[in-house]
Amino acid sequence: MNMQNPLARVRGTGSSGEGSHHWRSQRYSALILLLLTVWILWLGVSLAGADYATARSAMSSPFNAGMTIMLAGTVFYHTQLGLQVVIEDYVHIATLEFALLLIVRFACLVAFLISAIAALKLALGA
Amino acid sequence: MSTTKRPMSPYMLGPYYKFQITSLLSILNRLTGVFMSVVSAPLLLCWLIALASGEEAYTGLSAFLGSVLGILIIAASVFSFSFHLMGGIRHLIWDAGWMLENEQVRLSGWVAIIGSVLLTLVVLGAGL
Repeated sequence: MNMQNPLARVRGTGSSGEGSHHWRSQRYSALILLLLTVWILWLGVSLAGADYATARSAMSSPFNAGMTIMLAGTVFYHTQLGLQVVIEDYVHIATLEFALLLIVRFACLVAFLISAIAALKLALGA
Repeated sequence: MSTTKRPMSPYMLGPYYKFQITSLLSILNRLTGVFMSVVSAPLLLCWLIALASGEEAYTGLSAFLGSVLGILIIAASVFSFSFHLMGGIRHLIWDAGWMLENEQVRLSGWVAIIGSVLLTLVVLGAGL
């Protein structure tokens, strides 16, 4: 699904040079997170103060594993988009801004990969 | 790059403008987002890693989360989550083109504040 008109896509209009892509991605990821909120609240409350065996068995179900990977992907994507806006707004030294944006992207990607592998390890019982 | 000191618009909070709930909630939405990015999300990641690493790591992290500092971090995270959630819903409503009149924006601001405090209390009450 693409909600940009073809001309806007070709020109990459807007001050960022990428049109409304960033803005829309932030909203779509927010909507997904809104749906996942019910699950994360339920899981968080039910596992608060849980011992190792309880937490381990809860996180070994395919449903919780899948939701964890979905949540990690959406959270770290939304995090990257949000921190990007904050950095672009407040950091005015071009080199530092570029470096911070790269670090945020890298950190969010690594955080997602580690979350996904941890969730899979718990689900597959390795 | 530029050496010219251009005049800048005064910051939205502070002595220059009359207090407005809109600007306070705007910056709070950012601050809670940054807090979760820097503290809460890494903490959840640590929890997953600890759980996947074994009982010793998990027990160690649990002990820290049960300490005063741990509980403070959890409480701040739950509040940030609740507030950013309410603020986010408010933004999505605006993006749909609704509730954009001044009175409605102020009203939704108060709903977001009260709602996030209530949600924080409910979640902490249920979890602790």
